[in-house]
Amino acid sequence: MTLDPERIERYARQLVIPGIGREGQERLGAARVRVVGGSSAAVPGILYLTLAGIGAIWIDDPEPVGPADSGHWIFPPHTVGEPRERVVVEALQARSRFVLLEPHRPEAVPTATVVFASSAAQAVAAAERARREKVPHVVVEWDGEGGSVVTVPLRAPCYACGRSIGGAGRPPSASASALSALAAEELILLLADPAAARGRRIDLTRGVPSVRATARLAGCACAADIER
Amino acid sequence: MDADAVETSNLNRQPLFGEADVGARKAAVAAARLRALRPDARIEPLDERFAAANAAALVRGVDVVIDGSDDFATKFLANDVAVAARKPLVHGGILRTTAQLLTVVPGPAGCLRCLFEDPPPPDAMPSNADAGVLGALAGFAGALMAAEALRLLAGERGAYVGRLLTFEARTARARLVMIRRREGCPACRTPAPVA
Repeated sequence: MTLDPERIERYARQLVIPGIGREGQERLGAARVRVVGGSSAAVPGILYLTLAGIGAIWIDDPEPVGPADSGHWIFPPHTVGEPRERVVVEALQARSRFVLLEPHRPEAVPTATVVFASSAAQAVAAAERARREKVPHVVVEWDGEGGSVVTVPLRAPCYACGRSIGGAGRPPSASASALSALAAEELILLLADPAAARGRRIDLTRGVPSVRATARLAGCACAADIER
Repeated sequence: MDADAVETSNLNRQPLFGEADVGARKAAVAAARLRALRPDARIEPLDERFAAANAAALVRGVDVVIDGSDDFATKFLANDVAVAARKPLVHGGILRTTAQLLTVVPGPAGCLRCLFEDPPPPDAMPSNADAGVLGALAGFAGALMAAEALRLLAGERGAYVGRLLTFEARTARARLVMIRRREGCPACRTPAPVA
């Protein structure tokens, strides 16, 4: 996707960043990102992906908006009962005409996936699907106001190798926006400059991030990805 | 509080504004959008600069100061006025792919001037326009600042009190620098050592 003058003006602050630049911004514009999970905790991340100029964002969350969602600005009371993916698409599409937001279609294959799943089982399943589809992915593990973000570029150790071994954390609190935005940031950098991306895990504990490289677990099936 | 108008180049990172707002005053648009989201909140737009002439009066009337300004002179002014008024300050800044956070509260922990003493000369640092800003990183830093302000308002200890957090997005490396009150700091007015 070539940048036209309107997009150059819109993304001017990103175009001068080393590692993004014109080529990176064009990669963002050509990307099709599947977003697994459209809860209120995921919304800040989806919003920043939209503002960054990702070409297409497919929201995969057919669950209905529930009473727990309805305190959030994106889910006003009249949306209770509607599929989350449709409500999120309608609310965020207005934020940028350069991005196409749609509910995810089962047969569609993305170029990257970000997982804001509400359960550990759903996160593992969504990450494994992305690995099998051979697309880079970023997975969020909620834990109150913090949690972790695991980044899985192509051929890196998979999410199962990098995930928490202690099991699921606490549900996301109202202050979980930082983790959601961090996941968007990781995906944007991964898409803009794939050659520089490394498998890593960022833990956010009481507002302080710490990073470590992920390591492949012995015997993990993802070792076969290196050969691909 | 903001004395600028919305520009197209803001829209990669400032989610309160949309394309239709370009050219409009930021304070008014932000207040209107926040009121629509939270009709029960009291929100007052201030379309003016935070400057030496109005800073003390503005800070006197609040419980916590959140500094998300984009120039060093304003950041140091916010620090000085908050320290003088003994009000907590949540300081945050972002440039290119690096974010920085610090909380200043009355007590033994240091302030921005204890660490840096003075703002850099005007031409020593690149502007946002020259260096760029990673939009999602601004969201990350802004969310951390909001969570910190909520901690302080709830009576908890802030996560960045007396320690400057620097986070570089490309490497994802974070660094914490401990800041104690510096003798001779002109903001804290800690006595200088006797020669």
